[in-house]
Amino acid sequence: VQGPRFRQLKIGAGHRLDVKASGVFVLGIGHGNKLLTDLYNCHLTKVYTVGGLFGKATDDFSDTGKLVEKTTFDHITREKLERILAVIQGTNHKALLMHSNIDMKTQEAYELAVKGLIRPMGKSPPIITAIRCLQFALPEFQLEIHCLHETQQYLRKIVHEIGLELKSSAVCTQVRRIRDGVFTLDDALLRTQWNLQSIQNAIWDCQLKVKTELEKTLG
Amino acid sequence: AAAAAMWGALRGVRRPAAALRRGLAKAAGPRSIRQLREAEEAAPVFQYVGKAAKRKDRVFVWGFCYSGALGVPGFVKPDVGWKKPRRIQPTPYRLETAEKISSAACGYGFTLLSSNTTDITKVWGMGLNKDSQLGFQRSRRDRTKGYEYVLEPSPIPLPLEKPQQTRVLQVSCGRAHSLILTDSEGVFTMGNNSYGQCGRKVVEDETYSESHLIHQLKEFDSRVVQVVCGQDHSLFRTKKGAVYACGWGADGQTGLGHYNITSVPTKLQGDIAGVNIIQVSSYGDCCLAVSDEGDVFGWGNSEYLQLASVTETTQVNVPRHLPFKIGKIKEAACGGTGNIVLTEEGNVFVWGYGILGKGPNLIETAVPEMIPPSLFGWSDFNPDVRVAHVRCGLSQFAALTNRGELFVWGKNLRGCLGTGRMEDQYFPWRVTVPGEVVDVACGVDHMVSMVKSFT
Repeated sequence: VQGPRFRQLKIGAGHRLDVKASGVFVLGIGHGNKLLTDLYNCHLTKVYTVGGLFGKATDDFSDTGKLVEKTTFDHITREKLERILAVIQGTNHKALLMHSNIDMKTQEAYELAVKGLIRPMGKSPPIITAIRCLQFALPEFQLEIHCLHETQQYLRKIVHEIGLELKSSAVCTQVRRIRDGVFTLDDALLRTQWNLQSIQNAIWDCQLKVKTELEKTLG
Repeated sequence: AAAAAMWGALRGVRRPAAALRRGLAKAAGPRSIRQLREAEEAAPVFQYVGKAAKRKDRVFVWGFCYSGALGVPGFVKPDVGWKKPRRIQPTPYRLETAEKISSAACGYGFTLLSSNTTDITKVWGMGLNKDSQLGFQRSRRDRTKGYEYVLEPSPIPLPLEKPQQTRVLQVSCGRAHSLILTDSEGVFTMGNNSYGQCGRKVVEDETYSESHLIHQLKEFDSRVVQVVCGQDHSLFRTKKGAVYACGWGADGQTGLGHYNITSVPTKLQGDIAGVNIIQVSSYGDCCLAVSDEGDVFGWGNSEYLQLASVTETTQVNVPRHLPFKIGKIKEAACGGTGNIVLTEEGNVFVWGYGILGKGPNLIETAVPEMIPPSLFGWSDFNPDVRVAHVRCGLSQFAALTNRGELFVWGKNLRGCLGTGRMEDQYFPWRVTVPGEVVDVACGVDHMVSMVKSFT
């Protein structure tokens, strides 16, 4: 029998990634689509590096949008930024506990809260589980954000709101997903590796990781 | 084209010179990158805050409103007809103050705020005033009577010798009396004195309401550096490390070796004789003192196992050393039924009775139990978050971290926790305050916090 090896492939996409963003994008092939739904129900956190620029505010919160306002930013210090980030983390931690639908009065809620395992296991608004500043060189800065149920536009809005909170303005220059659940940048295939052999190797390498994660979370 | 047609219609009239002709607008198309960049560079830059902008100091209050203790008259008597009186303020509400408040204290239905300024008005009070715990507040309607409830922060006139030099360092409130500590003129006491808690002789059948009497205490072995009010007794800590007490002693809370009333501040002996005490704390009928070497001493009521680690008796009238092996203790706070301490390493330990903060299963313990630091925001991601201060109300606890976050837990009496919910909180829960919390004062059913804004 002759002909191409695969003539039709069912491909499904994991968590959405914007046009303006980059990074890890999980796809499922054939039987892997069923694993995709299971991974979605695990509600694992995703990690992004978000780059921002102080001094500008645009209508779509990114640096390619229409300019709305320009402000000064020389009063901003790394300490002020970290204070704002601590508050964002605090309020989001509260939202995490509230949307997880566990009764706060039980002993098991206390045990889970101590271990830090409380997580919303259903639909919830976007929640940031951890945020920290990686680089700070006025006017640019870079943040690492761990989040759940978010969209990239929400992250750009967070950058804009950080600018407002610091009494200045900020736009988002770069959104890059570096981890999606169990998949990190090392597992991701580059543009030059989009061929059958590398895809097959990648699927083979990730199988064990995905299986252990699904068993741990969904039981 | 319209202009040309108009001129053409008026034949014989000279057309205006080219210089006077209106220039017609060019058609607007998509702007090129160069035009966008030029427009962006030409845009004006707004400055909202300069480089030397200072962070502002604010006061936030929450809890039960009807006593007036929150200081917002609009909660009790709304200024507009359609608004209804608010019984409980469940989340932090900003209170406008005339000056920067350096110390605040919550009593049983009233609050005192003080600033360390040299202006004439240094202390403001609001809430219940039935025993003149806020001094005499002259009523505007009848100049001979005083207010029973003060709904707004009102200045308390103090009989100072040098009003423009003395500074008020700290205030403290008990059930129906208050203490004000100054830097050079001793301690001023006002309010109910039926048990001698104001440090003056008990006068039989004295009416405490609408009283102008503010007593001044100056005779201590050295300068007083901290004043603490229990429910019906007062504790004074001096610079030399000694502790004085006066007031009701039926539970031994005066620590003077008897169970009678004391109306003159007397020095405590027992296990703290000769020990340099750096902090005292009390709110109900139990008292704790911390020495400079990290030991903790307790006396007073022990019905809720607060002192059960050293004795089986339910009242202890002499300070006893509590032999806890939990590390060097930095700060201690006493509540009505539970106690909390903070060690040098930043760990928080609780013991006593009630909602202690380790889930609904832990109701009482005589031995201190540690609250895991992960509940205060510590994690592998933030390993340097530590608890900096601990405070106690009557049945609730509060902890402040070094990041400026406020965690509360305990019985949510009339919304005093400030979480926005009415249920009791069995483990530390963050209170969302728009700023970095510097200090918090806990009362029976309300709390006051001093906050610095972010930028």
